[in-house]
Amino acid sequence: MTASQPPQPTSAPEPTVTTAGRPPGPTVRRLKQTERPHPLTPFVRGWIFFVAIAIGWGREIVINAGEDQFDAGGLTLILPILGIVVVLAAVTGFVAWYFTRFVIDDEELRIETGWIFKKSTKIPFERLQSVDIIQPLVARIFGLAELRLDAGNSTTKLRYLTRSKASRFRDYLLTRAHGQQASIRDVDQQAAASIFTDLGVSDQPLVRVSPQRLIVSFLISSEWLIPAAITIIIVVVTAAAGAIAFALGGLIPLIIGMLTLIWRRVIGMFNFTLAESPRGLRITRGLTNLTSQSVPINRIQGVKTSQPLLWRSLGWYRVDVDILGYGQGDGEDNELNATSVLLPVATLDEVELAIGRVLPGFDLDDIQLHAPPKRARGVRWFDFWTLRYGWDDRTLITEQGWFTHVRDVVPHAKTQSVRIEQGPLQRLLRLADVHVHTPRGPVNAVAHQLDEQTARELALSQLDRARAARAAERQHRAVQTVRTDDHQGEAELLAIFGTGRDQLLGAGGESEVFAIDHERVLRLYRSRHEAPRRTAAQLHGLYQTWAGSDIGLELPLILDMGERNGRFFTVDRRLSGRNFSGWLQHADLAQRRPALISFLDATERLQRLPSPVPGFARLIGDVAPQQFGTLVELLSSMLRGPLQSSRTQLERDIPAAAEVWNQLRGELAQRSVVPAVVHGDVCPPNAYISQGPEGPVVTGLADFSPHTVHADPLMDVAGALIFLELEPYADAAADAAWLEAVAVERHGREIVRWIDVYRRFYGFYFSNAYAFDANLYAWCLRQLNR
Amino acid sequence: MEELFAPPAYEWKRLSPKYRSMRQLTSLVVPPVLLTIPAVIVGVATGRWWISGLIWAAAIVIVIVRLGFVTRSWRSWGYVEREDDLYITHGVMFRSLIAVPYGRMQLVEVESGPLERAYGLAAVTLKTASPETGARIPGLSPEEATRLRDRLTELGEAHASGL
Repeated sequence: MTASQPPQPTSAPEPTVTTAGRPPGPTVRRLKQTERPHPLTPFVRGWIFFVAIAIGWGREIVINAGEDQFDAGGLTLILPILGIVVVLAAVTGFVAWYFTRFVIDDEELRIETGWIFKKSTKIPFERLQSVDIIQPLVARIFGLAELRLDAGNSTTKLRYLTRSKASRFRDYLLTRAHGQQASIRDVDQQAAASIFTDLGVSDQPLVRVSPQRLIVSFLISSEWLIPAAITIIIVVVTAAAGAIAFALGGLIPLIIGMLTLIWRRVIGMFNFTLAESPRGLRITRGLTNLTSQSVPINRIQGVKTSQPLLWRSLGWYRVDVDILGYGQGDGEDNELNATSVLLPVATLDEVELAIGRVLPGFDLDDIQLHAPPKRARGVRWFDFWTLRYGWDDRTLITEQGWFTHVRDVVPHAKTQSVRIEQGPLQRLLRLADVHVHTPRGPVNAVAHQLDEQTARELALSQLDRARAARAAERQHRAVQTVRTDDHQGEAELLAIFGTGRDQLLGAGGESEVFAIDHERVLRLYRSRHEAPRRTAAQLHGLYQTWAGSDIGLELPLILDMGERNGRFFTVDRRLSGRNFSGWLQHADLAQRRPALISFLDATERLQRLPSPVPGFARLIGDVAPQQFGTLVELLSSMLRGPLQSSRTQLERDIPAAAEVWNQLRGELAQRSVVPAVVHGDVCPPNAYISQGPEGPVVTGLADFSPHTVHADPLMDVAGALIFLELEPYADAAADAAWLEAVAVERHGREIVRWIDVYRRFYGFYFSNAYAFDANLYAWCLRQLNR
Repeated sequence: MEELFAPPAYEWKRLSPKYRSMRQLTSLVVPPVLLTIPAVIVGVATGRWWISGLIWAAAIVIVIVRLGFVTRSWRSWGYVEREDDLYITHGVMFRSLIAVPYGRMQLVEVESGPLERAYGLAAVTLKTASPETGARIPGLSPEEATRLRDRLTELGEAHASGL
């Protein structure tokens, strides 16, 4: 998107509607004129002075009154001094305000301060890590707010602005911080639209913490009960001994500590609300100082739930998150600072709701937790029975603690580094700890007291999982940054089908799939897709052709299709079971092997599907069905597109690329085979597995695509084996080799050669992945270098 | 036992022997110097020089124990550059193995204090976004430290991924 095509919000009904108190925006932007904070700022900032002066003066009068005579002489001396102080404070406040100027417009975010020493801070939009609104008590009275901008290690405060202006800037800056192009005027329009058209999209509260629950939970939390109990014991014991004065030295810091705890946990967390806004989650909290803070979901590095002993019977949990850049210990030393608390106290349902937003798709029930070996009690006699660890395809979990039960969840993609540790006692017992490091914050995932061998496996496999997750995220991000307009008109469309972004089942280069209910899914084609209607129509026809033939396998079916808000969608039948790729991650060998056999069976069954055209043909695409005389012609036609974009890159990475290519063509020309339906991309992410009477069985294959052709049935068999190597679990390569042996046993030794040929074919076919998926491209190079 | 901390299919690279000499020197010099101060104070203040004698004896014991550990500690250090990550191991009593993916490195530091410079040594530290990573390799020759730094920066760029 460029400046020449201003993004138009799809359904902003009346661009003329403006928010109250909006400054003359357009003229300000054109002249590049800077703005000043609100004129009341010096007063609000200097209120402490006024209060101090008022108290000092008041005390003077009170003391004098106590002496029962009014000392006018003292007052005449003090008044001028006070007057000077007030004037000085007012002047410095005014000067500071007068010389503070800022620009927030389409091009830049710049703040200038200082009278003698001028300072100009320019913050690149994409550096912004969070934008929070903070309203201290006095500012709140005047309807003012502070805008706090976190960028890297520096925090810039802009105070004070009117509340509406602050929230407008926040929305705009957050949009820009997400790397999206926007004009500040659009934010006005969006705000206006959300006020006048009740879409129910912006700021829906997810969880509200009632004051009663907050206070009760605080009173029975371990961190309050322990100092409280110590205080009472000290008071009682020393009072009984008549020596309470001696205990004061110890009591005072204890009491100060308890008061700060009340301040942080009760007053700072009062009216805690977790809400969903169009730009992610938002937290508002505070009794005296109101803080509104956005939770940048992509910056969340880990989640910790904790449960003090006494909360257990009430089923309450506290949820903290590691947010990149929020740093500083548990991040709540100052109630004005950004907090890392996602929920101060919540029920299990609320916790699941919040975690579902923060880590989409996370489901604890899906994760198999393991306990450390029995001998761990030698080291952790006090809580060995609470130690747990486990992982699935996206996250690693550790649990520990009896007095306060803590569960740490770290997404693989956020793993920084891994450490194995072993002390002398552990060495004796052949135990070791595995630490998974995340950026600074409350989350501290440690799998305690594992068997040495297990510890090593966990640590090394965690590195693999982290690598795979990073690669996947990179790819996701590449797709995302290129297509930022993809969410246009989406919310409304999803709402019509009663689904939402949290129901996302999967995403590919061409479309995203959302669950509607147990029977149906909504497939939303990306807006960059060249011809979604044609592809969908071709797929619909193909699925119709297959509707009559039962091959003992669930295949997709298009139930409905249409276009709305410029987005093309289809409603597809939902395949039963769960995604095979996700399942493979944490299935053990004994479960995996039979499931892989059924995966191979499913692949082979595809050959029985009828083709709409005879002979070698492409079934989906520009001019499909497009028929070819020979297999090699068809496959060459398939390779033409990908090679066009990857040729230069391939020639750089493989000197003998041309040779490999000629040899491949020669070999393919020798292949004589009766054509059958070929899915073209039978990999675990496209397969679905259900629990059968004799264990898990692959029951469905989805995502037929332009890769789908009428060609050599061995292509899918080879694909099923070789794409398995790309799965991000530790034994994927071993499983692939094993499955290849099974296939060879079934089809005979001569297929070894053809599997090898198709390895090279797919190596070329997916080589355009160099642009967006380094992992897949590396795999392609391995195939071609064999 | 040993295999818990071994890198998969690689040989550890070890620290420069000069590092051991340096540690031997510090082990030999630091405890007596540090303990002489309280020993003298106690002796002068109380006149009971036998207490000072005990403190010096303690210093000698500490020196012997530390000298005994220096070689083992030096030998316990190891690092290896793999395709995707750097492994570092160290520790005699409390042993650890740390793996840092190159894609996670934020910066690589080379540092060398006055004593280290005198011995011709330098330390390389890898920083990630996590303060717990603590991946520091002490006692490298300056050439190896520079090579490692350049290599790691290069790999870091190649593998870089956002947070």
